[in-house]
Amino acid sequence: MSSLIYWLRRKKWILAGIGAPALVAAWWAFRPEKLWVNVKVNEPAPFDSSAAPLYTGLLIGKAHPTSGRASIYQAPDGKRELRLTDFITSNGPDVHVLLAQGDDENLRQEFVKGELKGLELGLLRANQGDQNYDLPDSADLSRYDAVVIYCERFHAVFGVAKLDKF
Amino acid sequence: MLLKTDIVLAIVGLALAFGSRPAAIAQDNRAKTLETGVFHGKVHQTSGRATIYQEADGKLVLRLTNFKTSNGPDVHVILIAAKDADDDANFLKSNTKRVELGKLKGNEGDQNYEVPANTDLNKFQTVSIYCERFNANFGAAPLEKF
Repeated sequence: MSSLIYWLRRKKWILAGIGAPALVAAWWAFRPEKLWVNVKVNEPAPFDSSAAPLYTGLLIGKAHPTSGRASIYQAPDGKRELRLTDFITSNGPDVHVLLAQGDDENLRQEFVKGELKGLELGLLRANQGDQNYDLPDSADLSRYDAVVIYCERFHAVFGVAKLDKF
Repeated sequence: MLLKTDIVLAIVGLALAFGSRPAAIAQDNRAKTLETGVFHGKVHQTSGRATIYQEADGKLVLRLTNFKTSNGPDVHVILIAAKDADDDANFLKSNTKRVELGKLKGNEGDQNYEVPANTDLNKFQTVSIYCERFNANFGAAPLEKF
């Protein structure tokens, strides 16, 4: 063993001959420089995407089975509206549509203790089907980033949709 | 002789009538949003949205928006036959069926990928940013009906 090391020490080019390709192979496999190099692209949509929503999210049922999609659209005049599609929830008394803060602890539970902090969008028009609700111009969607189907009478969270940028 | 020119004229007329049709449809630039979902991926910090559109001519397009992932070697965009995928999942090991959409064009920014015409979106329900060299899922976006 020691004679082998001695021999290798004398013939350093053998080490270099093995080491260099090994280094190249390791570089090729891991491409470590890519950790710092970003490749940015900015392709336009290959079609007219002006009708796309600003935000969208899926409704998840809490106190009552609720499903469907909540999307926020902006009209050319700047007016924003919430649109519910494929929507279904259970019917109930005094059920409202609200915008709330997604990180609100109250939304993790089925029932709210005290008052739910949110922006009122109106009484739920129907417990099934596509429907639209106007947003107040002042609504700050970076703060109020969740749609809640909320029964005011029993403080029950029927369903919640966390909105994400489209 | 007269008959021959008539036939030629008729063929030219038909070609103009039908030939111009696809062009007219292609100009109608609206696309239908079929499915959408958001990326999750902690190990390789992947975020953004994946949306599948159907263009007016029937072609399917995957579009990534607000997209960000870590750069890496031999990273591809694929569709997988699964409802979702874990971080770093190895689809070779789990024998998950996939559809190749192409090499990732950039690790940041909006980008489009053509989806093969015969792709069954009921089966291939998740978009994955997949490192082919190490068989590792950088991030996955489970798609839901829009």
